[in-house]
Amino acid sequence: MILTDVEKAILDGKEGTLKQKALEFIVRYAKVLDAEKLCKVTKAHLFAGAHGYLRTVQRDVDNTISLMHFCSEETLPIKNIACYSQTDSGPMDPDQWEILGFTQEESRENQEYLDRYLRAGIHLVGSCIPYMLGFIPTRGEHYVSTESHAIIFMNSLWGACGNADGIEAAFCSAVSGRTPLWGNHIMDNRKGNILFHIESKPQTISDWDLVGFTVGKKIPSFSIPVLNGSFELPDSERMRSSFASMATTGGIELCHIVGLTPEAITLSDAFGGTVPKDAITITEKDISEAQDFLCSGNLGKIQFVSLGCPHYSIEQIKKVADFLSNKKVHEEVELQIWTAAPIKSIADKCGYTSIIFKAGGKLVCGSCPILTNKWPRNASGIAFDSVKQANYMKPRTGSTNLYYGSMEKCLEAAINGEWD
Amino acid sequence: MTIIFIKGRGAISGIAEGEALVAKESFQGDSAINFETGEIVQKGHILEGKNLAGSILVLAGGRGSTGWSCRLHAAAINGVGPAAMIFPKMDSRTAGAAAVLNIPVVTDLDKDPFMEINTGDLLRIDGDKGIVEIVQKN
Repeated sequence: MILTDVEKAILDGKEGTLKQKALEFIVRYAKVLDAEKLCKVTKAHLFAGAHGYLRTVQRDVDNTISLMHFCSEETLPIKNIACYSQTDSGPMDPDQWEILGFTQEESRENQEYLDRYLRAGIHLVGSCIPYMLGFIPTRGEHYVSTESHAIIFMNSLWGACGNADGIEAAFCSAVSGRTPLWGNHIMDNRKGNILFHIESKPQTISDWDLVGFTVGKKIPSFSIPVLNGSFELPDSERMRSSFASMATTGGIELCHIVGLTPEAITLSDAFGGTVPKDAITITEKDISEAQDFLCSGNLGKIQFVSLGCPHYSIEQIKKVADFLSNKKVHEEVELQIWTAAPIKSIADKCGYTSIIFKAGGKLVCGSCPILTNKWPRNASGIAFDSVKQANYMKPRTGSTNLYYGSMEKCLEAAINGEWD
Repeated sequence: MTIIFIKGRGAISGIAEGEALVAKESFQGDSAINFETGEIVQKGHILEGKNLAGSILVLAGGRGSTGWSCRLHAAAINGVGPAAMIFPKMDSRTAGAAAVLNIPVVTDLDKDPFMEINTGDLLRIDGDKGIVEIVQKN
């Protein structure tokens, strides 16, 4: 591997032990990839907080961070982040933890993590949608992110360069300021190689959500999809839902949409003049099979509804407020609407938060049920308007009926107390 | 029986032996493994119900969340992680996990591992020389 003098000095420990360990990890990662050199990272979006997988480690906070973020047995307090950084979603709403059923002790532990990150220079944004919250890597810019759909969004729509490296690699990049020059970081590697002909005519956010799930299911490993067809071009809300579900079932990091994303203005651009390795058609039947997989056919009562994955935009929150205005959520139903704290503050000012609250719903921030893992275990039915939530909750819910449907369908069910 | 060799590139050094868990469609990064017990819990996955502990994972690549590495990491810390991993090619999810687990890993193989290896086969991995041996077929 070719390393610069600065990188060699970091590996010699001239900039401290933490940075040395972080770069040692990045070099090991680069060798696994067979990368020839590293590139400078300008932005890092980091999965931070007292997340469930950390709790199993049962060590103190500094020791856990050292081991689980930097792969160091030696305790090395996190400090001196090398590039602009902000936090991804956490395990709870750091302000409204009590209404979600967390204990004071759990909140205190999470806060301990957040304090460490803040002192190290990481901004406590706490959201899976960094691209709507000041994290805007432009074409050719090298960033790291721990949110799978945000990587597809920023790579595909902006031409930014990020790989789905994982939590440890992202933290080590944030501290060392480097990532392997490999994969999506090299513009020549970003041409599509699998053509998806979308025959199903997706229109709604749900339609695009199900298209994403299906594309991810059908795509072979090591592939970059190109979506083509005579559909109406999706807006950013549709794309973020589609990318979120695509990233749960596939290993996708970049998705070209012909006529929309900048590296795919034409079909020929998308493939860089090469012939696709395969062509796959997504039909109405595929979409209804996905719907059947994700949504139980046993109709019945529900006790929990969660919306807002990816975190809702202010536009989506307004739609919820309009829907719930002068209505009441069923008394047996817990309704959670998830967003990012900066977006909730806009909703507060616009009066949407209080409309949702008066209807019996909660506008909560910085997490989601996958991460909080708080849902009524005695529920007979729970519902989501997100394929990502439904798909990831599926292995956890046992005999509880799991439902998937549009925002409107979920809100109706929350009001009626049943999925019909 | 004749020992079958697959040659490749050693991505992480070391030698390990164990039973293969093989999946051409990899499991997803979230809600696929119970990192306390090592059990694979992804609904409908070909390895659902199998246990990672001490296994040699043979997977096409990563899928799902970028938590692919950290959940395997938690499993390894809990003593129920895999002993080695084999990938036909690397992608960023699996490479990140390989660097984290720091267990023998062989990749860039000269044969299709999904044609040669079945779940339950006994494998020996040499991550220094980049060699996979199928010691005993299941």
